Amino acid sequence: MLAIVRPDSWNFPLFLHVLGAIALVGATAATCVLAARSQRSPWLRRVAFRTLVFVVVPAWLLMRLAGQWIDSKEDLTVDPTWLGIGFLVGDVGLVVLLVTIGLGWWSTRRPDRNWPGQVVAGLTGLYLVALLVAMFTMSGKPGS
Amino acid sequence: MDRYHWLVFLHVTGAFMVLGGAVMAGIFNFAALRRERPSEVVLLFRLTRFAVTSISIGMVLTLAFGLWLVSDADYSWGEAWIILALVLWVAANALGGIGGKRDTRTRELAERLAAGGDAPSPELRARLRDPISLALSWGSGVVVVVILALMIWKPGA
Repeated sequence: MLAIVRPDSWNFPLFLHVLGAIALVGATAATCVLAARSQRSPWLRRVAFRTLVFVVVPAWLLMRLAGQWIDSKEDLTVDPTWLGIGFLVGDVGLVVLLVTIGLGWWSTRRPDRNWPGQVVAGLTGLYLVALLVAMFTMSGKPGS
Repeated sequence: MDRYHWLVFLHVTGAFMVLGGAVMAGIFNFAALRRERPSEVVLLFRLTRFAVTSISIGMVLTLAFGLWLVSDADYSWGEAWIILALVLWVAANALGGIGGKRDTRTRELAERLAAGGDAPSPELRARLRDPISLALSWGSGVVVVVILALMIWKPGA
């Protein structure tokens, strides 16, 4: 029952970490929906691209930096599986996000082509699933 | 995974659906404020339905598994942070519900304008920027963030 015995000094970084993760999930889902619907309404690609740059990336930074802050306080000698999955999804996710931002920018420059917008929808959908797996492992802590 | 961790996972899933949905709704709402053509506003308001569904399911999950957690983890029902969280849960629903009804009327206006020529309308612009509607919708989100803070700090526990 980690929540009950957690030291008070972890609360603020945990709050920031969870807030960042929630904003990341919401903004990624919004980008996915916007990009998926942009086939018939190309102007939505610009909204999706701006969401990626101005909401998804700041949310990722908040989630990742606050997560590192908590990790520095926990002083774990061996990283448990749930923590490793969290770091993996966070760090590999940044690469996915950067590729998605590039494609998002490309989709706004080439409104006659549908595929960049659809790939943005696919990548953000995949990243959303990865985030939900990370949420499962970090909140449920299976194997701990 | 023991029962406690399953309950935490399901409770946290609800919280992610509520606040993640609120972020989605906020993004669509903010984008709608920047559009002029009624048909574009309609499209963004229709996308908001994804967010509303997520928020509605999440609200039920947070309450159901939150109450189960209180009894499972041997918290007292009289603890201030639990009572306050329940009061704020009701307040968030009330604010979001009232704000949502006003947004529905704005969407209906946008649909009528879109069907009748799709020309930019000062009335629609004013409705989108209505401070009461914005305060209700965004205020509901702020209340849920306060609940999240209560869940983490658990003052008085």
